[in-house]
Amino acid sequence: MIDEQMAVFIGSGLRLAVPIIFAATGEMLSERAGVLNLSLDGMMLMSAFTAALASWATGSPLIGVAAGVLVATAVAGAQAVLSVTLRANQLVVGIGFNILALGSTTFLYREIFGPLSRDPIPGFAQLNLPWLAHIPVIGPALANQTGLAYVSILMVVVTWLILKYTSFGLAVRAVGEDPRAADKAGISVARTRYLGVLYAGILAGLGGAFMSVADSNTFTENMTKGAGYLAITAVIFGGWNPWYTLAACLLFGFATALQFLAPALQLDVPVALLLLLPYLLALVAIAGFVGKSRQPSALTIPFERGG
Amino acid sequence: MALLELSGLTKRFGAFTALDDISLLIERGEVHCLLGENGAGKSTLCNLVFGVHRPDAGTMTLGGEPFDPRGPAEALQRGVVMVHQHFSLVPNMTVAENLMLGRASAVLKPQDIIVRMEQLAAEYGLEIDPEARIDELSVGERQRVEIIKCLLGDPQLLVLDEPTAVLQPDEIDALLAICRQVALRGKSVILVTHKLGEISRVADRTTVLRQGRIIETVAMEGADIRSLVRSMVGRDVQSAGSVLAAAVDIEGKTPAKSSSDVGPTSPGEAVLQISDLVYRDPHGVPRLDGLSLTVGTGEIVGIAGVEGNGQTELGLILAGLAAPSGGAIVVGGTQVTGCTPQEITDAGVGIVPEDRHAVACIKELSVAENLYLGAIGKFSRFGLLDKSARRKAAETMMRDFDVRASSPDVSMASLSGGNQQKAVLARELSLDPLVFLLAAQPTRGLDVGAIEAVYNRIRAARDDGLGVLLISSELEELMAVSDRIAVIYRGKLVGELAAGSFSREAIGAMMSGHAHV
Amino acid sequence: MVMKNPKLAQGTRRKLVPLQVLVPVVSTVIALGIGLLIIAATGASVVEAIEAFWDGMAGSDFNIGASINRAISLALVGLGFIFASRANLTNVGGEGQIAMGGMFATAAALHGAGGLPLGLAFIVPLAVGTVAGAVWGGLAGFLKAARGTNEVISTLLLSFIALPLVYWSVESFHLLRKPISDVSSLPESAEIPDTTKLPLLFPDNGSPLHIGLLIAAIAVVVVWLVLKHSTLGLRLRAVGLNATASRRAGMRTSFYVILAMTVSGGLGGLGGAIMILGQQFYLTSDFSSGYGFDGLVVGLLSRGSAVGVVIGALLFGFLRSGSINMEISAHVPSAVVLICQGLIVIVIAGSAILTNRKVTR
Repeated sequence: MIDEQMAVFIGSGLRLAVPIIFAATGEMLSERAGVLNLSLDGMMLMSAFTAALASWATGSPLIGVAAGVLVATAVAGAQAVLSVTLRANQLVVGIGFNILALGSTTFLYREIFGPLSRDPIPGFAQLNLPWLAHIPVIGPALANQTGLAYVSILMVVVTWLILKYTSFGLAVRAVGEDPRAADKAGISVARTRYLGVLYAGILAGLGGAFMSVADSNTFTENMTKGAGYLAITAVIFGGWNPWYTLAACLLFGFATALQFLAPALQLDVPVALLLLLPYLLALVAIAGFVGKSRQPSALTIPFERGG
Repeated sequence: MALLELSGLTKRFGAFTALDDISLLIERGEVHCLLGENGAGKSTLCNLVFGVHRPDAGTMTLGGEPFDPRGPAEALQRGVVMVHQHFSLVPNMTVAENLMLGRASAVLKPQDIIVRMEQLAAEYGLEIDPEARIDELSVGERQRVEIIKCLLGDPQLLVLDEPTAVLQPDEIDALLAICRQVALRGKSVILVTHKLGEISRVADRTTVLRQGRIIETVAMEGADIRSLVRSMVGRDVQSAGSVLAAAVDIEGKTPAKSSSDVGPTSPGEAVLQISDLVYRDPHGVPRLDGLSLTVGTGEIVGIAGVEGNGQTELGLILAGLAAPSGGAIVVGGTQVTGCTPQEITDAGVGIVPEDRHAVACIKELSVAENLYLGAIGKFSRFGLLDKSARRKAAETMMRDFDVRASSPDVSMASLSGGNQQKAVLARELSLDPLVFLLAAQPTRGLDVGAIEAVYNRIRAARDDGLGVLLISSELEELMAVSDRIAVIYRGKLVGELAAGSFSREAIGAMMSGHAHV
Repeated sequence: MVMKNPKLAQGTRRKLVPLQVLVPVVSTVIALGIGLLIIAATGASVVEAIEAFWDGMAGSDFNIGASINRAISLALVGLGFIFASRANLTNVGGEGQIAMGGMFATAAALHGAGGLPLGLAFIVPLAVGTVAGAVWGGLAGFLKAARGTNEVISTLLLSFIALPLVYWSVESFHLLRKPISDVSSLPESAEIPDTTKLPLLFPDNGSPLHIGLLIAAIAVVVVWLVLKHSTLGLRLRAVGLNATASRRAGMRTSFYVILAMTVSGGLGGLGGAIMILGQQFYLTSDFSSGYGFDGLVVGLLSRGSAVGVVIGALLFGFLRSGSINMEISAHVPSAVVLICQGLIVIVIAGSAILTNRKVTR
């Protein structure tokens, strides 16, 4: 009985972590380049909705994911224009996009699906990888995931490789740390930051699409419930390192999953308090563990060429 | 045919004309010096050649082809490289990573860079550990990385903007030798400086800039140094006296002090006593390592040293912006070790900090607000500001200290560097009580007129009985103004010279840690 | 770098003034225009929608009063935003501060304040709500001062923490949840005692307009005085512009950072308390929903001016009332207003490059 509960808990913890892993991994690369996308939540929400819509309309969850990623990338493009080219306050712009995303998805959802629709939409099936299922305790939870969940881990590896072994990764790190020096070394600061933000958009899109198409097979109003903010906090908590960021995302995922485990274990903890747990953890994390020194020096600071 | 040809270059920033109709030829194989005061347009000219800025008018050709770089990337592609006044290395990356930046293929190949570094080490004697992190290197080593970065791609034109300001005397020699070697290989070098000593040692030709215009271009063989100075400053050399000597660093011509320059022969009681001061930075690296120093009333004590030997930390600690890890500081009998800035001010300490923009003033606020930044409550009733009383007081102070601004209400940012510094001096010298003044790099970035005003203020303060500590990286400045010079090396004082026995050679040797007196 | 020509500096400043007003006005007009286009695109009758909108905003004394009541809370949150931004701090946690203010005001009104003499009965809950918001904002200020935690992130997270706390308080019988009766068992608090409700300004004509209007008016004047004409305002500005130079000049920068966030949060808490005591009368888990963002947008629109906050708050107070009625009567989702708000924020932030243009060299 307890084992079964644990498997459910681990499974749901992983499922809840996946969208945050996607978003946080992309966001980490963008922040390494110096751009903070507070609009991450908006990108995810837009993607979740678009993916649901496209999957529902075409019957193909794959097309749904593609459409979701496309829309999130478009939002990222707009964020990049504002934060890189127009040198706007990145945080304020991000909040603007989040309000816009909440408004437009809510509006379109009610217009298209009707206010109380609970129709399931075509989604991905779980892969059920037999060789994983044999691992004790965590095996079944690991095996019963959709393909996208595995992609999220793959993206962490890819991002790590990019940062460590490619010229683009080196440029990203330089631009986030000392854009003036990078510029004088012949790197285009604007181009690097645009690519960083777009990368964050693509991954946030995957994360958002996962929520609607792979995880719940439906869309609900404001379904991200601040997952984008959690992803940003995970990046801070993870010290802008891909692996620590991944660990932070898993922590947040499991913290969220506790609300399913607690009643089963007959723990007398109010659900409301479990709801705030990930955010409380995040706050404690960024307040307690993060030294300023590890932050990319030019984070949120627009670059303007000067003498 | 000349390598680089500039014709009619003009650059404006808003209504300010930084460069006005500049035409100039840079020949192949020459070291061409650009000489001029701060604000004469030297850096702007370099930045146009390197594509950091684009000209408003005029054209350039490089190797006979039109040259109009839209950014450093394009300049680099055409073989133009530049060492900037401020380092352009990413501090938390390794040497190799910095060298790969902007030039590597899609996947990083550190091995290629290391091979090329070995070639350069053999060719120019430029050796450095490729795995070292930039922020662990000394200033001189960082500059070596900058130069390696420039030479990696086998450039046609090497531009160096004030590269010697941060170097020790022997490092300067090495740098000038490299310039010569580069020129010998048929490449061209543009070297920006305001130091005549360097020019006479390395330049083939020198172009003098003043207020954005070319005054003259002269071949250095048989050139008259005095006439270059006249072109640069725009007035006769004699009138400026020791100020000028300090500002342009005419080597070997240490000015004899006139009687007004010398302080009282025996300083009074101690106003500042520093004993065994220790400071470790957040990484645990000792920046001050048992520094002891006494400054008496009515004397100016100069601190000489190569930048990065603890001067900045000493200044921050005296200002109350950093807490020492050990030791004691006493001002006029009051312990101020580890005290807050306010307590230090109350003890009678005035501070002219090294970094004017970050520490001394808030450039977005008005001149009046800056003059009374430490005494905001002085002009208020029931917590509400009495702006007209403050304006009146500020006007008086601006008149007394010759701070030139159209009104006390204009923003500090709209003032020239010289007038900003005069405002800072005005505020700090008007403190009451006041027994001690710290002036850290007080003339950095100022023109000759403002430098003169700053020196006069510092001397007047000394004559009024203040103890003054003058931290400067300009040797000539220290020799012209100080009554006593102590030399700082690796966080402690390694020697001291009394007035009358100042010598460049002795101080230079102590600065590089070679000799003790 | 710096401008060297004083004439130039003045010239730029003269141009700044109209742009500062022009940008918010133009972006608001454009955003509302887009909102209308969206309504038209849904196939709903634009005329009908506008009629419903107008009716909801100002169709009756009751609706006008309700709209102004909304504006009161928005103005307080907006004032809090500009107070913090004077010290260069961005308080985006208005929602959480409202929630804490409302929750603690409810608790005070239900447990004890009701029996206090007239006047005190509502003043005490208002004060308690203000303090609760102040603590919530001050916490972010403390984290900023002590640990360097970015206040945008911390105020956001504090909001996400505050909302479940309210939910917890209204679903727990030992906290604020009203006992289950046969009529209803919704998770909400009992109605607050009449003595703790804010007195109405015009009790005779049915307008719900209450004395919160006077409180907000006083707050506007005080914030304006403090920010523009007081030594405190200058110190906050100095600390926000350059903390090191301010510290050198003898200011305790941490104190001012905490103070700014505390006052900012306190104004939000007061806004939340007024929402409960003035109009809603009982606590629900989502009573603050959207007010935080609205207040934030009001603060942004005002560009640091207290008068701007008043105008922005009235605009959004009426917009909200109108949009709710539009959804009920004309079946146009009120989310259209969110879309407009998002666009306004984005356009204003994006046009900062026009209004803050510096001459560089």
